[in-house]
Amino acid sequence: MSFLSLIVRNLVRQRTRTLLTVLGIGIGITTVVALGSITQGMKATSEDLLRIGGADFMVAQKGAADLSFSTISARDQRAVERQQGIESAWGVLMHFSRVGSNPFFFTSGVRREDMPAVVPKLEAGVLPRGLRQLVLGAGAADSLDLRPGGTITIDRTVFRVSGIYRSGSLLENAGAYAPLPAVQELARKPDVVTVVYATVKPGASVRDVAMRIEESSPQLTAIVELGDITKVDQGLRVLDAGNLAISLLAIVIGAIGVMNTMIMSVFERTREIGILRAVGWRGRRIMRLIVGESLVLCAIAAALGMGLGVAATRAVTLIPAVSSFLEPQYPLAIFVRALLIGFGVGLAGALYPAYRAVRLSPMGALRYE
Amino acid sequence: MSSQPAVETHGVVKTFEEGRIRALNGLDLRVEEGEFVALVGPSGCGKSTLLHLIAALEPPDAGTIVVAGHDLASEHDLPHYRARHVGIVFQLHNLLPNLTAAENVQVPMFELGISGRKRRERAGALLALVGLEDHGTQRPAELSGGERQRVAIARALANEPGVLLADEPTGSLDSEAGRRVLELLDQIRASKGTTLLLVTHDGSVAARADRIVRMLDGRAVGEERPSHQVRAATGGER
Repeated sequence: MSFLSLIVRNLVRQRTRTLLTVLGIGIGITTVVALGSITQGMKATSEDLLRIGGADFMVAQKGAADLSFSTISARDQRAVERQQGIESAWGVLMHFSRVGSNPFFFTSGVRREDMPAVVPKLEAGVLPRGLRQLVLGAGAADSLDLRPGGTITIDRTVFRVSGIYRSGSLLENAGAYAPLPAVQELARKPDVVTVVYATVKPGASVRDVAMRIEESSPQLTAIVELGDITKVDQGLRVLDAGNLAISLLAIVIGAIGVMNTMIMSVFERTREIGILRAVGWRGRRIMRLIVGESLVLCAIAAALGMGLGVAATRAVTLIPAVSSFLEPQYPLAIFVRALLIGFGVGLAGALYPAYRAVRLSPMGALRYE
Repeated sequence: MSSQPAVETHGVVKTFEEGRIRALNGLDLRVEEGEFVALVGPSGCGKSTLLHLIAALEPPDAGTIVVAGHDLASEHDLPHYRARHVGIVFQLHNLLPNLTAAENVQVPMFELGISGRKRRERAGALLALVGLEDHGTQRPAELSGGERQRVAIARALANEPGVLLADEPTGSLDSEAGRRVLELLDQIRASKGTTLLLVTHDGSVAARADRIVRMLDGRAVGEERPSHQVRAATGGER
């Protein structure tokens, strides 16, 4: 019999209580893993959005509550294009609307002359040649069962599909590129774009060029990295904050649950703890026993939570409305965080019961009824 | 007679309930190495309390207790003392219910850093010594009262202590099971030279001892040495 097997035996003695505790902590960790992977997925989508057309950076309206609310006038767009160090710049009007089962169908309005450089490589067909034509992402084409020559209705406006492209970006793949004037009409936003994408000349510093734009046009803000996107979109920051808050809540609720379980366990085994002290066990070893039980409990809960978290996010992506704009990501950091939460909960929940167990005098514990 | 006694107490006082109950009242006792001493006396005279103090399960209010040269008042590592120098057998076996007999015997060995293989070997040998070599995988609930008590004796011997303390070890057993437990204790004492300090209410049990110490109101008030004939008749001498 090893010390670890003694720990496991003690947990198995109270199967129902152990299972319920594992389930409670496991659900908390599931939430942390699920929210973490969704946040990472959202960040990946945002990153894709930042690099559309191979841009070095993106310019948006300063102070916009959300990126989709940003508006940049034609004059500001020209100012960006003329900025020293800019090689090319193109405006994109982003428009979200329901198409088929996708409530977030993403139509990008781009000037036709910019399309060859901006639109991903075509799999079939050609770039739009008229105002009511568009090119469709392969994901959207599959889900809507459309081929070049077919038609698609966006906000009661019928477009002919002139071509199909495939992109590594989930959002692009599930959306479409249409001529800018047509999308401005759809969105009822004449003469404006949402953002301007830009590339810089070889040898020019992206940061320097971006800074010059912000200096010369204070109403604009340049987004060079994903971290900058919080200047115009609080969504990711809110998600990150929510993730942190839920992680902390999971720790607190989990620790209370574990503490309850371990205190009950210590109370019930008071005489046994007395016996262990009577045969020579030190307080340290008793503490290791109680903390060990708690940690094993939480390690099982963390494993369960991680499995359930992955399963839950995979299940969510079966919903077409979600899969069109979100692909959950599972970086190692999420699982490390889940393990650390499990470890933290186990430790926090066990310390007080272990302290109580260690403070029991051998004879006091043996006399306990 | 050895110059250093196995157990020596001087003026030991122990009170409970804020001094209202005086369990031990200046007790003096000397037990030689390898000796079998029976502590007898009415309920509440302090017999069990004395064993608990010798086992360092609780401290005395006053007086000194020296066991195998260890003055318990100045002993810094009491858990090690309990693990290494004394073994205790309670009236109720006090085995851990979720462990098998062999695992219960191994429990005290953890503190002395004995390897898993050695723990298993030693537990097997001890169970064989108490006649339970075939019961190692059984849990306490699957054993009879006498068998549980024998497992408890094996556990008390786990770390080969010099002093074995037995607090009415036959008190909850029928006469046949009690007789076997006493024979076992005798046999262990004879083979290992272990000092045995046994608390009992039963005169026939006490008669097996080398010496009977009578206690009253927390003091040793007299002692006697059973004759060879009496000890032989009760099975205490062979």
